[in-house]
Amino acid sequence: MKKVIMGNHAVSYGVRASEAKVISAYPITPQTQIVELLSEMCASGEIDAKFIKVESEHSAMAACVGASAAGSRSFTATSAQGLLLMHEMLHWAVGGRLPIVLANINRAVGPPWSIWTDQNDSLSQRDVGLIQFYCESNQETQDTIPQAFRVAEKVQLPVMLVLDAFFLSHTFEIVDILEAEKVREYLPPYNPDIKIDTADPHSFGNLAGPDNYFELRYMIQMAMNEAKDEIVDAGKAFGEQFGREYGLIQPYKCDDADVIFVTSGTVASTTRAVIDEMREQGLKVGSLKIRVVRPFPFDEIFDVLSSAKKVAVIDRNISFGSHGIFYQEIKSALYGRTDIPILGYIAGLGGRDVTPKVIREIADKAMNDKSPDRNINWIGVKI
Amino acid sequence: MGEQTSFKSYKEMPIRAMTISDMMWNLTGSWRNVRPYYDFKTSPCRVGCPAGEDIQRYIYLITEKLYEEAWKTIIETNPMPAVTGRVCFHPCMDKCTRKDFDQAVNINAIERRIGDMGLENPDWMEKAAASGEFKVAVVGGGPAGLSCAFYLAREGHSVTIFEAERALGGVLRWGIPEYRLPNDVLDKVVGSILESGPIEVKTGTALGKDIKLAEIEKEFDAVFIGVGLMRSRELGIEGEENDRIEAGLDFLRKVNSGEKVDPGKRVVVVGGGNTAMDVARCALRTGSEVTVVYRRTLNEMPAIRDEIEEAEREGVHFHFLATPKEIAGSGKKGIKVVFQEMELGEPDDSGRRRPVPVEGKTFDMEVDRIFTAIGEKADLGTIESVLDCEWDLIKVKDEYGETSRSKIYAAGDVVTGAASVVEAIAAGRKAAQSIHSLLTGEKIPEAEKKDVVGIEDMNTVYFEHSNRTQMPRISVEDAVGGYNEINSGFGPDELHREADRCFSCGVCNFCDNCWVFCPDVAIHRGEEEYEIEYDYCKGCLVCVHECPRNALSVREEGK
Repeated sequence: MKKVIMGNHAVSYGVRASEAKVISAYPITPQTQIVELLSEMCASGEIDAKFIKVESEHSAMAACVGASAAGSRSFTATSAQGLLLMHEMLHWAVGGRLPIVLANINRAVGPPWSIWTDQNDSLSQRDVGLIQFYCESNQETQDTIPQAFRVAEKVQLPVMLVLDAFFLSHTFEIVDILEAEKVREYLPPYNPDIKIDTADPHSFGNLAGPDNYFELRYMIQMAMNEAKDEIVDAGKAFGEQFGREYGLIQPYKCDDADVIFVTSGTVASTTRAVIDEMREQGLKVGSLKIRVVRPFPFDEIFDVLSSAKKVAVIDRNISFGSHGIFYQEIKSALYGRTDIPILGYIAGLGGRDVTPKVIREIADKAMNDKSPDRNINWIGVKI
Repeated sequence: MGEQTSFKSYKEMPIRAMTISDMMWNLTGSWRNVRPYYDFKTSPCRVGCPAGEDIQRYIYLITEKLYEEAWKTIIETNPMPAVTGRVCFHPCMDKCTRKDFDQAVNINAIERRIGDMGLENPDWMEKAAASGEFKVAVVGGGPAGLSCAFYLAREGHSVTIFEAERALGGVLRWGIPEYRLPNDVLDKVVGSILESGPIEVKTGTALGKDIKLAEIEKEFDAVFIGVGLMRSRELGIEGEENDRIEAGLDFLRKVNSGEKVDPGKRVVVVGGGNTAMDVARCALRTGSEVTVVYRRTLNEMPAIRDEIEEAEREGVHFHFLATPKEIAGSGKKGIKVVFQEMELGEPDDSGRRRPVPVEGKTFDMEVDRIFTAIGEKADLGTIESVLDCEWDLIKVKDEYGETSRSKIYAAGDVVTGAASVVEAIAAGRKAAQSIHSLLTGEKIPEAEKKDVVGIEDMNTVYFEHSNRTQMPRISVEDAVGGYNEINSGFGPDELHREADRCFSCGVCNFCDNCWVFCPDVAIHRGEEEYEIEYDYCKGCLVCVHECPRNALSVREEGK
């Protein structure tokens, strides 16, 4: 059944279809509607899940940690400051190897207070060990939730799903709604081998000395590597069953492109529209959407970008004192394998609109500037 | 200590950071510097109850549907819950913690339902056999005497009740109107008490008239006197000896005996206590227009609030700050009464502001009948020649009712002056304990001294607000049209709804919070109680904080 729904509710429907058993969250704009709808679904019995009210995001993730450790499929959602407050517990979820799914609505971090989108909140969690998906449409958002649970439970790592505030969270689009009974085969009920059980008591997350800690970290990295294959497999299997296939990255008109724009989130859709317009003008351009940031698809990205003459990375984030974060990642993906120029563009921080005009401005600069700063170019900032 | 595990390869390790064996060897209780422990306290309602009923316990038993046990819990301290459930001024409810949260639990109505269940199930009453060793006389078959007789008979002592009237009950029968306490309920209550053990009754036997105290004293091993206060106090004004001025108690006795009464159209009741309310409402039921004249204000009225409100609802008028001064004229059409206007002065010994006449301010009223209800007094008669008395009351040494003469005990209104039914029941029981101790040499059990909890000790986040369940009530029209009982009592749903509102202050009711919250799984749930496994309790005190009812306490280790 198709419905016109907002991005936030696409998350809720994805969670419904995935039959999560425990949902715990603390309200924060622009996420709140996700858990509002889920709480209504819990109350009406539409989903058979326990909704745990908490007093902070830290506790929300702590509740998910406990529930997941006890063998329940668990979900939470948050934004910006809430995600940062959750930070310690994110490490817990990773180190505890707990397949929790978290939806983060990208919201610029305060102060100054902002409720509008940028990616600094989610990318601040880059090194925690979360698998990270960046979504660009409501349909993709809904479809990614069962994929996220499937991958998480296979490799025993938590997943964070990321959506742009308002541009996606509050935008209404047509979504083909997933029904739980049809998803059940794709995503069977979660039943882990190891879980908290008073009949078989163990201590979890306890002390590990220098002789053991190192190996446990190594195993997380192994799980991340494994996750890459699982994401590809989950995206393919989803396509086979539901007719919509997903992957680690999404190249668009890249095969013969001289210049490729690297994007993520809703900027990816805008960029594709600009590519079409430029192609009509005879310009050989393409775009590459990065859907999965961790594990980072180094080889897949190299395969797409290596044939281009120039790469322009659009970052809706900034690592102060360095560059855009996607820029750094792309650079490290291509390092030592090619010497094509990689240009970095910072745009749309704090929810400033990244319109087709802005993309075109980036494209023009990338193609025409005689000697651009390779690392960092600020687009639209009032200097 | 458990074995430290070393692995040759990560492949041997569990995916989760977890111990391979269990961790029972790790006695984390040694980390503790404070110790939580189950420490049940006293609920404030119990402190409020003059009879010391274990209210929390019987309400808990009701929630578990253990009605017989609930009833037995009550009769440990009060043999007539069907009576007090109807007429008690329920100070327990004034102390109820829930009063500071939303509305006090309707303990009174709960007690009534359980009391009635006791009457519906006569087999609940265990019958005590006579030990044949001791004989005790109980003079006066009112609430104090019945209570004393009940607790003596339970010990196997042979009791003889001497009652001046033709039936037992005292003020319950002759003072309290049937719309508050129907006679058939009272008859059943009295019957159940008489069935409970070796109790013999001699009605129509008035002390000093039909039998002498000296004779009783000779024949019995101990004597209890609980003759109550059966005479109304006079107004003490000029012209008081008038047919149109009648003692309120005499009027109530006639009404309760089924005698035809016709006080006339215009009736004034003087007084502000429960007798005044009873008289006023009975007069209303004969078709009179009734005005209660009280020398202080509504705030100082000693009557039970509910009774005042009921009287008002039924149409009784109130005139405050006035008192009769003289009867100025008397004729066929009525009497002319002069009232002195009053104002409130300095507080007196009772803490209430004293009424003081307002110089020169009076008013007249023409009435058909004045009922006096300004207090009752004892009819001590020959008792005064045997026992020390003061202010027309028998003097006792302590709360256990010992009088100036050994083997003679007294309790109830004849000792305290006008008080309540529940206080008489409590005093009767205490006297019974004292008499039992005298006869057998057994010590009177000391009351447990535990801390009393209040709202500040509770974790009220676990409670939801709700309104008190009220008893269904007949309409005002039906009420004033006769003597049908006004409150019709709880059914099973109402009983449970209200019992579920009890916070169980200070006493565990197995809500499982401690058990659920203990992060160390160091609390175990047994059949009858929870147990803390101190080998693993780290003393985090989450159990203490999350207990909604303060049933746990803390002490420092090593102290």
